[in-house]
Amino acid sequence: MGRGSIGYRIYTITYLSYALLIVLPIAWTLLSVFFTEGSLNDNLGFLDKKILLLLGKSALLAFLVALFSTLLGTMTGFLLNKTNVVFRGFFKVSLLIPLFISPYILSVAWKDFFFLVFGNSGFISSFFGVGLVLTTIYTPLSMIITGSALSNINKQLEESGFMITNFRRVSLKITLPLIKPALISSFVLIFIFSISEFSVPAFFGVKVFTTEIFTQFSAFYNHSMAILQSSLLILICILLLFTEGKYLAEAPFLSVGSKGTSNKTYNIKNGFSLLFLSGWLSISVALPFITLFIQSFKGGTDKIIQAVGLLKPTFANSIGLAFTGALIITFIGFVAAYGTRTKKGTSFDWLLLVVFAIPSTIFGISLIKFYNHPFLDVIYSGYAIILIGYAGKFSFIAARLIGNAMKQLPDSLGEAAQIEGISEINRLRKITIPLIIPSLFAAFIISFIFSLGELGTTIMVYPPGTEIMPIKVFTIMANAPQSLTSSMTLIVFSVTLLIIIGFYFLAKPLVKDHNSYVQN
Amino acid sequence: MLHKLTLAIEANKLTCLLGSSGCGKTTILRLIAGLEVPQRGQIEIANKIVSENGKILVPPHLRNTGFIFQDLALWPHFTVYKNIAFGLSERGEEKVKETVFDMLDFFGLQEQAEKYPHQLSGGQKQLVAIARSLVLKPEILLMDEPLANLDVKLKHKILEHIKNLNKNFDLTLVYVTHDHKEAFAIADKIVVLSEGKIEKTGTVEQIKKSENAYVSYFLEY
Repeated sequence: MGRGSIGYRIYTITYLSYALLIVLPIAWTLLSVFFTEGSLNDNLGFLDKKILLLLGKSALLAFLVALFSTLLGTMTGFLLNKTNVVFRGFFKVSLLIPLFISPYILSVAWKDFFFLVFGNSGFISSFFGVGLVLTTIYTPLSMIITGSALSNINKQLEESGFMITNFRRVSLKITLPLIKPALISSFVLIFIFSISEFSVPAFFGVKVFTTEIFTQFSAFYNHSMAILQSSLLILICILLLFTEGKYLAEAPFLSVGSKGTSNKTYNIKNGFSLLFLSGWLSISVALPFITLFIQSFKGGTDKIIQAVGLLKPTFANSIGLAFTGALIITFIGFVAAYGTRTKKGTSFDWLLLVVFAIPSTIFGISLIKFYNHPFLDVIYSGYAIILIGYAGKFSFIAARLIGNAMKQLPDSLGEAAQIEGISEINRLRKITIPLIIPSLFAAFIISFIFSLGELGTTIMVYPPGTEIMPIKVFTIMANAPQSLTSSMTLIVFSVTLLIIIGFYFLAKPLVKDHNSYVQN
Repeated sequence: MLHKLTLAIEANKLTCLLGSSGCGKTTILRLIAGLEVPQRGQIEIANKIVSENGKILVPPHLRNTGFIFQDLALWPHFTVYKNIAFGLSERGEEKVKETVFDMLDFFGLQEQAEKYPHQLSGGQKQLVAIARSLVLKPEILLMDEPLANLDVKLKHKILEHIKNLNKNFDLTLVYVTHDHKEAFAIADKIVVLSEGKIEKTGTVEQIKKSENAYVSYFLEY
């Protein structure tokens, strides 16, 4: 990509826009606390015993969630990618659902379940309850990461192990060590997500570090304190990220239709495996959905009708915003991936990764602090600030998905076209893009679904009067009867599920067509 | 890494770059094509400097070269016809269809025109890759171990095709291989390389009779 080329210009403009609109607000907000006279001194006590205990509590919660999610995710990943267990395709898709549903929806469902079965929500509205809900949400993430690593192990490595020892020893001594980077990545990512999670502990009224930041910011209007506390969390997340940074930056697990190597599949008895997979599916998907259904229709259809009425004005807005957000995210992801592919440097990738690791609430605070100026009102008071939030949160995932698809294309495909005199834009249009269509589509779908359910940043930045599904549910749930909250949540859950199913059927022929010619 | 390498390739002849893995033969090919830039020194094609001291002066598509990649680089989402026609259409050539079918005819590929690369045999893929390059009428055809993945029988068949190429198409051919038998079968001139340096240049007979220690050692295996 020459400096004067259109590709180079598009890359530079996108990179600078991202840095200016998304990275600068974060840097500016953090630095302003340290360099504004008085604010650091005024809040030097921010690291008191209470705060440190709260941080310790958050870290313990994140550790337990990361541990159990990685354990369960590895088990499901193994069963679905290394064995011949029946209904693998069904389980692979359905077990992913919790990852695409907003955490607050699952929180409402679990609270309902405890009310329904035990008559109170004592257990679930606790430290362990938050841990349980977060584990159901993040296990699918671990399943993707470890499953991808497991299916990419060259079968000869395991087969040569079987010449020497038994299945158990091969699994422990060969298979698991080979996927160690994936296990560590899974743990680190889930730890970062859990320690940064706001909506689940907030809903259950469990005080953790992120809820404390939110309280400082929105109840006490002590912005400097909130930012100082945030900087501590950012530091932890970034330090963790850098320990595993290189592997995460390359994130091989975020790929569609990865060629991989020939995979070893084990013949197993279906009994226990099916029981485990069905059990986990019941806990993480069926149980929340059924509970919401029962609660919503307990008193007839009144509450559902009321919920539809309340949510109706939000549908077009939410879908429109998520759609626009997904388009922007896919574009940024594509440009960043293309830049890395054409050796423009990896700094764009790193920027995406760092912003991705910053907790949503903190990102939201940064955007408010930065854009709350009269001359930036056009961004601050409109949907633009929400779209900027989406782009900051999810562009990393899109860039990785698209980047990994590009990596699988041999350089020679582009070079052959280059020698024939095909322009850079036409090489992109006619060679690269058609060959990575499934990944572009996947990046779009995932960005769309994540944007549709995004709450952590949106709740901080949404302009007054904005009608968006997650905001509407979250703001109403504090004062509404439980059955109305359940009904609203059920509707959001169903809409998200319908969209996932719709996209699945849209994507199926696309991927099939693509696979038919990209076999060799 | 190439070291102080001076190499002249004769027009309308088939020159083989022969050497073991990592000796720099593919790099030379990519330098000629303009896919790599020489840090120092210059590359001249038909008395015109095309690359010099870290700069590409003539971009790959204006060098009038064709390139057969080791993995062939057939575009998997295009049919055989489209793979061959793509370059012509992009260059705005007339009579694309006629030219492509002439080429398909020459290589006996008419019946494969609507097939995708994955539906072809190894030999057919090889011929499509050659046809795709030749249809643009290059003066120089660069081939990077194009037969590496073929069985012996097929190799001989394709080698016959390659041998006749410079006669039929008035071409200068540069063929990279690590297999001296392949080189002996087709080359007008052979350049033996080792660790980025030229060990010996000569005709097949001259190479066979060479007393250069490396050449003798290399030919033993």
